[in-house]
Amino acid sequence: MNPFPIVLATLRGHRLTCGLFVLLVALAVALGVAVTAQERALRKGSARAADAFDLIVAAPGSQTDVLLAAVYLRPTAMELVPGDALARLYAEPRATLVAPLAFGDSVRGNVIVGTTAAFVDHLSGGLAEGRSFAAATEAVVGALAPIALGEQLKPIHGMHEAESDEDHADAGHEHEGEHDAHGAEDGHREDGHGVGEAHEAAAGAGSPPVAPPAAGDAAAEGHAHEDGDHDGEAAGVPADHHDGEAEDHDHDAHGAEVAEGHQHGLAFTVVGRMKPTGTPWDRAVVVPVEYVWAVHGLASGHAAGETRIGPPFAAERLPGVPAVVVSPDSVAAAYGLRNAYRDTRTTAFFPAEALGELYAILGDVARLLGLLTLATQSLVVAAIAVGVLTLLELYRRRFALLRALGASRAFVFVTVWSFVAGLVAVGAILGLGLGYGVAILVSAVLAGSTGIAMPAGIGASEFLLAGGIVAVGALLALIPAAISYRRPPVAALRQS
Amino acid sequence: MPTLSVENLRLAYDDGRGRRAVVLDLPGFTARPGEFVAVAGPSGSGKSTLLYLLAGLDQPGSGTVRWDDTDIAGLGEARRDAWRRRHVGFVFQDFHLVDELSAEENVLVPAYFERWSAAALRPRAQALLAQFGVPEARRRVALFSRGERQRVALARALLFDPPAILADEPTASLDAIAGAAVVTALAALARAAGKTVIAVSHDAALLAAADRVVRLDHGRIVEGAA
Repeated sequence: MNPFPIVLATLRGHRLTCGLFVLLVALAVALGVAVTAQERALRKGSARAADAFDLIVAAPGSQTDVLLAAVYLRPTAMELVPGDALARLYAEPRATLVAPLAFGDSVRGNVIVGTTAAFVDHLSGGLAEGRSFAAATEAVVGALAPIALGEQLKPIHGMHEAESDEDHADAGHEHEGEHDAHGAEDGHREDGHGVGEAHEAAAGAGSPPVAPPAAGDAAAEGHAHEDGDHDGEAAGVPADHHDGEAEDHDHDAHGAEVAEGHQHGLAFTVVGRMKPTGTPWDRAVVVPVEYVWAVHGLASGHAAGETRIGPPFAAERLPGVPAVVVSPDSVAAAYGLRNAYRDTRTTAFFPAEALGELYAILGDVARLLGLLTLATQSLVVAAIAVGVLTLLELYRRRFALLRALGASRAFVFVTVWSFVAGLVAVGAILGLGLGYGVAILVSAVLAGSTGIAMPAGIGASEFLLAGGIVAVGALLALIPAAISYRRPPVAALRQS
Repeated sequence: MPTLSVENLRLAYDDGRGRRAVVLDLPGFTARPGEFVAVAGPSGSGKSTLLYLLAGLDQPGSGTVRWDDTDIAGLGEARRDAWRRRHVGFVFQDFHLVDELSAEENVLVPAYFERWSAAALRPRAQALLAQFGVPEARRRVALFSRGERQRVALARALLFDPPAILADEPTASLDAIAGAAVVTALAALARAAGKTVIAVSHDAALLAAADRVVRLDHGRIVEGAA
């Protein structure tokens, strides 16, 4: 038997109604596919973004906060890893890479991260153009950062740029107040900074690279930034950067400024662009960690007068940092270091641990959405089954006619079943494509806002979901098929 | 061509008050090959019921419906379906065509019940449509006149060249000219093609053209039993 000419004729006869059925199924399937595909893309993207961060050492506290700051560049108030702990890490024979991360500033809305050239290479596998920074006042930018090579920029203190750089530069302002607790080496909380707190106005003759002041000075001094009107004293720092008589300032007051953003006086030049990483670092401006320390008036990590950047650092002159990324030389070393740096002053964790917590929350939400989606899909398919029953009433005489012409009950059964199951199957296939499209769109939007590449794809779970709907539809199609099968043709023929 | 022979055919139903209402009660009825039999009678007299019983679409309470040696009342439903497909061509008052299909596709509908491809029967379908003067075989029947539609229905009834044609008020929806063409066609099928044609009708022209008129009243033959 060949029921398809009759099935197709029936579909043609009620194009609009059938189209509506298909659309409903497609939307229901698309909803489910988009949710599951997007959740998986989010997991993949976020996990991939953390790939380069083998082990993270931070001050005791929320691992999630540290993860968000270090990997996803969304720093919040964080305690600091003491300088001596950073020095200890650099002395670890089991670590192939130790990279301090320091935050606190931004430029044109792009987060400025202080780290080492080795970490830039580790993260992006080399540069797409230009070269890596070789001096404290040089920077490389992420692949997607809208900053050209050769540009000279001044950072905005804090993560939000309230005004243009030029406006700030013109205004030039100074911060005064009391520091409650100083001493970067001690590692203490500072809202929005992440890097030390005692900002010494240390300026002097010379040009970059910067040679920030001694650690002791940093602990004692206040914070002062201004453009062009400070006296400098430290070698290596531009004369127009820091005031030699900087005053202490209040942390709360400073916190308020963080929200608004204010400009630091020390400019840097962009000399290179990283390869795409598919992480928020693609929009970052990466500077030597010494630059961040200098901008915030901290010790340089090097001997006084030394102008080079990067390790080895002088242990006694290392300021604190919010996080340190460590690449162990083996799995055993990874667990060894993780245990060794879990004490009262530091904590060490694998990103997967913190991601696990995030995924647990995400998973709960996804499960809830999944249940809602399933309920929606079930309702849609049930509504379609009811609709089809109504439609079949209209076709009751047609099937009676087919029986009169010699069609068997089985033919009528297969025709009705094919009709209903076909609607659901076509809807499911369209929904699969539509859901994929929605997932790609949402991924693009999320990637745009977070910088995390989230490659949405259709996987087994989406096929399973669409297949499940088709299976449910095929089962539900048995109902109208059975009704038509059992219905005697004579009664319908008498309606003529 | 088969001879129809009905014996002691009886169909009754429960009227809901504990009594059996007799729909049809035929002690005997026959029709020969090449005979054009018209069945007439008032509404509710059992004309259509007789037609459905003769086609095996309905089952009698008792009696036999024998086409040659085959008592279709004794066949199972699936075998009756198969028998009907090959032995009976049906023509209805309202044509009962599939509006979304072309004339040719409508003629081929009975072929879909048997085989996956109706391609082998396509030439025959086209020939039948030409025989009945249907001008555009590929045109959707929804666009046809009523007369043309009934001629398509006639062509469909003849796809498997069945020995019997059963028609239920075949001219009731047609104007006089179209109705006359259908009557002529039915008469020709009986007399020229030797088929057994049984048509339920109120149409005087059809009754006049028939070889024999069987009149039913309250389920019983009151005139014309052979």
